[in-house]
Amino acid sequence: MPETETTVKTVTANLKVYRYDPEVGDAKPYYQDYEVEVEDWFTVLDALIKIREEIDGTLSLRCACRASICGSCAMKVNGEAKLVCKTKLDSVWSPGETVTVDPPGNMPVITDLVADFKPFWDKVRQVKPYMQPTGPVPTAEYLAPNEDMVHLAGVMNCIMCGACVSDCTVLEVDKSFIGPAALAKAYRFVADPRDGKKKERLGELNGDAGIWDCTRCMQCVEVCPKDVDPMERIMVMRDQAIEEGYTGTSGARHTESFVNSVRRSGRLNETRLAIESMGVMNIPGQISMAPVGIKALLKGKLPSPLDHKIPSKAAVKKIVEKSEETSK
Amino acid sequence: MKYAFWPGCVALGGTPELYQSTKLVLNKLGIEVEELTNATCTGAGVLQEKNRKLGDTLNVRTFAQAEEMGLPIMTICSTCQGTMAQAQLAVIKDDGYLADINADLADEGLEYHGDTVTKHFLWILVEEYGLENLKKHFVRDLSGLKFAPFYGCYLIRPSDALGFAEVPERETSLEQVIESTGAEVVDFKGSKACCGLPILFINQGNSLKMVATHTGTAKDLGADAMVTPCPLCHLNLDGYQGKAAKKNRSSAIDLPILHLPQMLGLAMGFTPKELGMNKHMVSTSRLSEQVASPAGV
Amino acid sequence: MYEHDVLIIGAGLAGLRAAVEAEKLGLKTAVLSKVHPVRSHSCAAQGGINAALGDRGDDWTDHAYDTVKGSDFLGDQDAIEIMAREAGDDLIELEHMGVVFSRQDDGRLEARAFGGQRVPRTFFIGAITGSAMLHVLYEQAIKHDVQIYEEWFVTKLIIEEGVCHGAVAFNMHTGEMETIRAKSVIMAAGGAGRVFEPSTNALICTGDGLALAWDAGASLMDMEMVQYHPTTLAGNGILLSEAARGEGAHLLNSEGDRFMERYAPEFMELASRDVVSRAEQTEINEGRSINGNVLLDLRHLGKTFIEERLGYLQEVAVEFRGIDLSEHPIEIRPGVHYIMGGIKTNVDGATVVPGLYAAGECANVSVHGGNRLGANSLLDTIVFGRRSAQAAAEYVKTAAPSVSTDEHLNAEKSRIQDLLDRPKGIRWAAVRNELAHSMTEGIGVYRDQASMEGADAKVDEMRAKYSQVSVENKGKVYNTDLIFTLELDYMINVAKTITQGALMRKESRGAHSRTDMPDRDDENWLKHTHVFKDDDGVRTETSDVTITQWQPVERVY
Repeated sequence: MPETETTVKTVTANLKVYRYDPEVGDAKPYYQDYEVEVEDWFTVLDALIKIREEIDGTLSLRCACRASICGSCAMKVNGEAKLVCKTKLDSVWSPGETVTVDPPGNMPVITDLVADFKPFWDKVRQVKPYMQPTGPVPTAEYLAPNEDMVHLAGVMNCIMCGACVSDCTVLEVDKSFIGPAALAKAYRFVADPRDGKKKERLGELNGDAGIWDCTRCMQCVEVCPKDVDPMERIMVMRDQAIEEGYTGTSGARHTESFVNSVRRSGRLNETRLAIESMGVMNIPGQISMAPVGIKALLKGKLPSPLDHKIPSKAAVKKIVEKSEETSK
Repeated sequence: MKYAFWPGCVALGGTPELYQSTKLVLNKLGIEVEELTNATCTGAGVLQEKNRKLGDTLNVRTFAQAEEMGLPIMTICSTCQGTMAQAQLAVIKDDGYLADINADLADEGLEYHGDTVTKHFLWILVEEYGLENLKKHFVRDLSGLKFAPFYGCYLIRPSDALGFAEVPERETSLEQVIESTGAEVVDFKGSKACCGLPILFINQGNSLKMVATHTGTAKDLGADAMVTPCPLCHLNLDGYQGKAAKKNRSSAIDLPILHLPQMLGLAMGFTPKELGMNKHMVSTSRLSEQVASPAGV
Repeated sequence: MYEHDVLIIGAGLAGLRAAVEAEKLGLKTAVLSKVHPVRSHSCAAQGGINAALGDRGDDWTDHAYDTVKGSDFLGDQDAIEIMAREAGDDLIELEHMGVVFSRQDDGRLEARAFGGQRVPRTFFIGAITGSAMLHVLYEQAIKHDVQIYEEWFVTKLIIEEGVCHGAVAFNMHTGEMETIRAKSVIMAAGGAGRVFEPSTNALICTGDGLALAWDAGASLMDMEMVQYHPTTLAGNGILLSEAARGEGAHLLNSEGDRFMERYAPEFMELASRDVVSRAEQTEINEGRSINGNVLLDLRHLGKTFIEERLGYLQEVAVEFRGIDLSEHPIEIRPGVHYIMGGIKTNVDGATVVPGLYAAGECANVSVHGGNRLGANSLLDTIVFGRRSAQAAAEYVKTAAPSVSTDEHLNAEKSRIQDLLDRPKGIRWAAVRNELAHSMTEGIGVYRDQASMEGADAKVDEMRAKYSQVSVENKGKVYNTDLIFTLELDYMINVAKTITQGALMRKESRGAHSRTDMPDRDDENWLKHTHVFKDDDGVRTETSDVTITQWQPVERVY
């Protein structure tokens, strides 16, 4: 080694890392404790790399660029998905504590910290993630406003790392949900003026396990290392789906009912919201809500079906109507 | 201490026991409030989905009203707090946006200057009232009881809108308040998860799975009740717990869900009936008995 | 055993562009990659892609000349002309595929200034152009239903009677080794930046493609031409794009001077990369440095501008150094970024081994010669990725399929098992570290006979040490320990071709800067260096540079 190596100040860090060897007998996952000497600028990835290079060569994990652009190294750190190459160790750990590292969630585990991304990529493929221009092809470039391109660049910041999918609360209970990454990818085409299939795309996303299944928990927004804001993209697509005429979902009815309630009175009419979301003509749906409704009534907490009107409701109505005008 | 009080639509509708217990507790604590009776629904994220600017405008309108009153805002609903915080962040970051919104409020003679602070009652207790002062009002020791915290998504995400960098205590505020009553916190993964209410009418199956998972896990870990600062979470976790258990488990869950002020009220000596605990869908009678009899017996 | 018309090894820009072309031409195509395609290092390219668009008054011959000059006249001018002439159509095709580019007010593509170019012709999106292009090419691969061997690792090319017939590889998920037979192979496995330390490159850039082709009989040409990028983050070597300088950033020494004035008075910070790196190294060597680094200053560009046009740079600065570029300059230094050298090919991507083609960073046509201009690599991958596929399509029309045999597979299985069975020895990482630090020391921005001989000797030492490296993980599933050990083998071979090439060239040209031979010697050394594998080690040769229009002149910026 070159003699220029000076003594570097290090501290001992304790990491608890998820291990899983599918080739061993009963193949159960377990946690392995590691003590590794770290320098103050270390990221969690630096610590993991040091473990595999100097302490335990059997630890498997994915990483490549170390510069938060390839998307390989998303994993759970202390229970929350992070891109470990850009996670400073001292932001998740202090001396004396232990950092827990797990593979990304909501995906099967191949070994150790390596998850099987096949379900992830299958969902991405599902949304037809490629440009589908219609109309005559120009000889030169398609003309496009810079504003639109810059807006798309925000979504394209997505490096498909899977952090959002790892921590999505809907995927935890329902693996058929298309998921935040695929939906954000779909948005990238819905919002591209050069793509000719906006209506068709929204029509497909409007169906089962699509845009309306997001529970708006903001986990994807919180954990995304690139500020892609998948949930916001899903919300925008919901509105665009309604504008394209896809008003027949309970989600669309729910949103419209909410807006109408505020427009009329300034407040939310919960009972009307329930009835209108389910669909006034949806008799089985209405009947299914009856037991809870009746119980609530007996407890004296069924909200009045009449609007709770605020004094300045006229002014509020004006504000709501103005927003509808300008959004056209 | 005086606040402009925003109860939220649901406290005045589907969870009247929250409003009832809040009033009792605020009174006991000597916290004065003036209700914002002319404020609108915050939008709960649904209005924002339709048109973000509309949601922001209505919330800024509320801020302007509070500014006129010269009071900070207190909320008692995680969803209201989160939606308002996001609106606040959007206009603080962008003068042009605020000016645009103020133009729409001019008709009512309202103008927002950016000075209003909005805090959830939970944060006010920890940051302003102080847990030591809070404890002085407790007459009943809740030690021996185990409570599972459930924050509600909008009170904990996205962290940059909720001031976690400036006030890190907010991340554990609910656990701190629970512990101040003497009760033990049940540490479980779901405390920061989603209750599923937003998809109740859209994908009821998934919504109920979320309810069953979180209340079920807490129950299996020995919780006597779940405590939540969000009435929307309460609607799902309490209202649909029975159905959720039937569809997802072989056994009932029967975990009482308490609003934050109800837990405080019990510690302060109010009766379960005074706190509206008889209005819950999941029976609170066993909990009431546990509270009535001394801890450990 | 699998059968394809073309097997493309590497799923970065060159590989995927080749694959899409091959599919369009009706070839039974397969792509193989040791990482998922979008993890390929193409994603890290930031600044943009060059093209001279005729319809806005640019002339491809100007671009060609800028490239020839940038190459320090080592580039083959026929290849450069092709690349410059075809760039416009390739760029528009990319845009039609859906790549998002920054636009002018009239909605047309916007170009920014870049190093070594006399007019702005670098098309970009923020500082994520490579990632944007890679994701679109992957989308196209999905659209065309390209078969991908995802997370497979190649251990050897199949050569029978001197002709390439595919590869032996193992599935990283199961550890199972297979023969993948193909009538042709396009090697597009990228560069070898990790042979040096520090480097901007990903950990996966270990020269696999270079080593595999070399082992199969191809020549590695001009390997001494290693590009030190001027603006790499001090510490971990992460790239800070040339785009910063393209948009007006300054380079400062410890005295606050824009020192480029003394080295390249006309082009200043946008001189070619070797010129800038040498300038920085000189400033550092002469003591006008801060902690051994110089400074990149973007303060005068303003926060909004930086966030919109150079957002990724701000992200890196904030996340990795806690620095806001609109308020503080940032410490940078030269770091290895690209290897101009590579597998010798003709203008259609063909190597001297029939059936074996190469494109992208691992290839050397040569369009970059002694120094690559920024934003020419993205162009290179697209143009020659496409051309290689077109050439392979022609070739397979008459290529005879070989007899299927398990001979290669069995030999490889045996070799790998022997590696796994080695008794406990030294860790691969220790050897890699020693190799990489020695290479940077001996084949640095500046080098001389002694330093190069030292590096060459060190490589031999590492080759000897390699026989003591053991693999701790004996498993089959995602055995990264085994993979790193195999990659180290490739790296040592690649390093040898670099030191040998460096010792051959008795002049300074482009990135090869000898303090003991500081002048360019066009009379004797307007030549390419070649290093072949030989039974006893290596065999070296030279060949002439192809000149079409431009005779070498003094290179001044």
